[in-house]
Amino acid sequence: MDSEDGVHDTNDLESVDDDFYSGGTGSGTEEGEGDYDFVENDSDESDDAVSHRHQNYLILSEADIRQHQEEDINRISQVLSIPKVDACILLRHYKWSVSKVHDAWFADEESVRKAVGLLEKPIEMPKARELTCGICFEDYSHNKMSSAACGHPFCDTCWRGYIGTSISDGPGCLMLRCPDPTCGAAVGQDMINALVSGEDKVKYSRYLLRSYIEDNRKTKWCPAPGCEFAVDFVMGSGNYDVSCKCSYSFCWNCTEEAHRPVDCGTVAKWILKNSAESENMNWILANSKPCPKCKRPIEKNQGCMHITCTPPCKFEFCWLCLGPWSDHGERTGGFYACNRYEAAKQEGVYDETERRREMAKNSLERYTHYYERWATNQSSRQKALSDLQNMQAVQLEKLSDKQSQPESQLKFITEAWLQIVECRRVLKWTYAYGFYLPENEYAKRTFFEYLQGEAESGLERLHQCAEKELQVFIDNEGPSKEFNDFRTKLAGLTSVTRNYFENLVQALETGLRDVGSCNQLPPSNKASSSSSLHVTNTSGGKARVRTVYRPGGPSHSSDDSSHWSCDRCTYVNVNSINVCQMCSYRR
Amino acid sequence: MSGGIARGRLAEERKAWRKNHPHGFVAKPETLPDGSVNLMVWQCIIPGKQGTDWEGGFYPLTLHFSEDYPSKPPKCKFPQGFFHPNVYPSGTVCLSILNEDSGWRPAITVKQILVGIQDLLDQPNPADPAQTDGYQLFIQDLVEYKRRVRQQAKQYPSLV
Repeated sequence: MDSEDGVHDTNDLESVDDDFYSGGTGSGTEEGEGDYDFVENDSDESDDAVSHRHQNYLILSEADIRQHQEEDINRISQVLSIPKVDACILLRHYKWSVSKVHDAWFADEESVRKAVGLLEKPIEMPKARELTCGICFEDYSHNKMSSAACGHPFCDTCWRGYIGTSISDGPGCLMLRCPDPTCGAAVGQDMINALVSGEDKVKYSRYLLRSYIEDNRKTKWCPAPGCEFAVDFVMGSGNYDVSCKCSYSFCWNCTEEAHRPVDCGTVAKWILKNSAESENMNWILANSKPCPKCKRPIEKNQGCMHITCTPPCKFEFCWLCLGPWSDHGERTGGFYACNRYEAAKQEGVYDETERRREMAKNSLERYTHYYERWATNQSSRQKALSDLQNMQAVQLEKLSDKQSQPESQLKFITEAWLQIVECRRVLKWTYAYGFYLPENEYAKRTFFEYLQGEAESGLERLHQCAEKELQVFIDNEGPSKEFNDFRTKLAGLTSVTRNYFENLVQALETGLRDVGSCNQLPPSNKASSSSSLHVTNTSGGKARVRTVYRPGGPSHSSDDSSHWSCDRCTYVNVNSINVCQMCSYRR
Repeated sequence: MSGGIARGRLAEERKAWRKNHPHGFVAKPETLPDGSVNLMVWQCIIPGKQGTDWEGGFYPLTLHFSEDYPSKPPKCKFPQGFFHPNVYPSGTVCLSILNEDSGWRPAITVKQILVGIQDLLDQPNPADPAQTDGYQLFIQDLVEYKRRVRQQAKQYPSLV
């Protein structure tokens, strides 16, 4: 199948590099340098403890969160003229929305007080010298007893137990009320701090902090494991992508990892599909073979090699060589062996997976196609991330020594790797996008696959350069003259790849609006219009072949007889031209 | 509430109960075969309220206290198979004030628990059914339900 051809077609990559270098080194470097500043700013910002400002969100450290919480409490306390403890209880009740507290309070203070358990005038404990604790029923002197604002006295030991139990039961402790069954008076942090052990105090304050993030509609914790930053998001802006200071990027809307340009719905569908089917898929691939005729997967759980597919297909075939059973029988070794298979296997012509792929026509295979590529880019991104970290931690210093370059002059490498990581992420999600792009939207598919192919081949070149070619300079003993050329090349590739991905992201975000039902315009025009550096068509076309899923083998001309579809790159050409406009392949 | 508060509190509950308790109710810690008293399990009797279908019945109820009492509520059990919409087939009573996650407060006394359960007998809570038998009859066939309640009252005559 086309889709399996040349997974790493290095010849192509090289030729592309040449083309590219003759064309656009100058502006590539320029753009690259412009962006080093960005990297610098980024690292500076992460150094300071104060919030990380972006256009539509704010990354909050624990200290920031406490500060914001404190500010909100102070505001409510001042505006409503109530103690800070009461303001805190009130805010928590209204999910930390200052405006909701204001609205509710000024609409009906009395009922708010009742619902939240805040008494207007605190009631003193009875003035007797000795009081009976309502929990342990023992008598204690007045100074060993405490009460909430309601004046119901309990001994300090029982209070400690009551609060402690509630704290170990979870965040419900933030809504604690007086232990008296008929009383609704709230128990605030002041009482907690006055009565319980240090450990419980810490836990309580932790719950209070978590509540501020978790109950608030405009804040969320960063979902990365072990990350302690939270994100304060300004609603109403279109872009949900958030980059935490821990370097994890996620979608604020669905808290899955960042998936721009693909929308949350598609991502949710895709993830559900993966979780529901990946296991099945593995099992099916490992344990079944598709019927050679109808392609339904068949599990052979017992019996001989003579398989009869279930109706309506009823095809009879040999399990081993997948040939029709009519050619089998005593001549080929009976029912439990197949000497055709054995012979073929001996000669090495039998590649079972290849055979299976030849028959790839069913939806299962289609899904696997997209899934494999999605997963490959995922793992490739992970690898790139760890390479980047290794680069920053070890290699850059080494390189700086070897090539006698200050590390500040090596920022272009970090920049390249950051670009790779980001592109792998985008590319990964475009496979989920492609899976859900309807088969019959021919023009959209073609355009999408073109952009994806361009982006992917650009990325492969960049990745190759950052991985392999850089290694040479790290391994070299002394400074090398070519290093400056390498710098120009890598920075250029970074910038070119960025352009390709910007095009791709932009096109997908607008729902491939640029192409109608009939795609007459060469897609190259679209791509080059926004990209100053355009790789020659040859490369794009070839690279695309391996990313595109073509269930029906070579593509055929579209319904419109005035056009023909290129067998190699699927680009739709006008009949009057016999060489593909996209990949120069002859008709 | 750790170590020992449960027993101290139960001793006080016992004292308070002996001093004063509602008419017709019985509540006392169980006596073990060796004659010692186990404060952690109380054998109680709840009289059916006058003027209701429960009248005339004296219903045995066991309170099981844990070491976490009074932080955690006691488990209150009627005999297995007790007929009431809010009593589980095991006999355990389902009542908001006995739920440690919502209604329970450590200051609720044994007396309040028992009186609360007496109220529950004639005022079942159809929003929180615990057995099918009692619940279905209560909402579908009130006549049969009342008959079953009166029948059950006869099963638990006064022991005095």
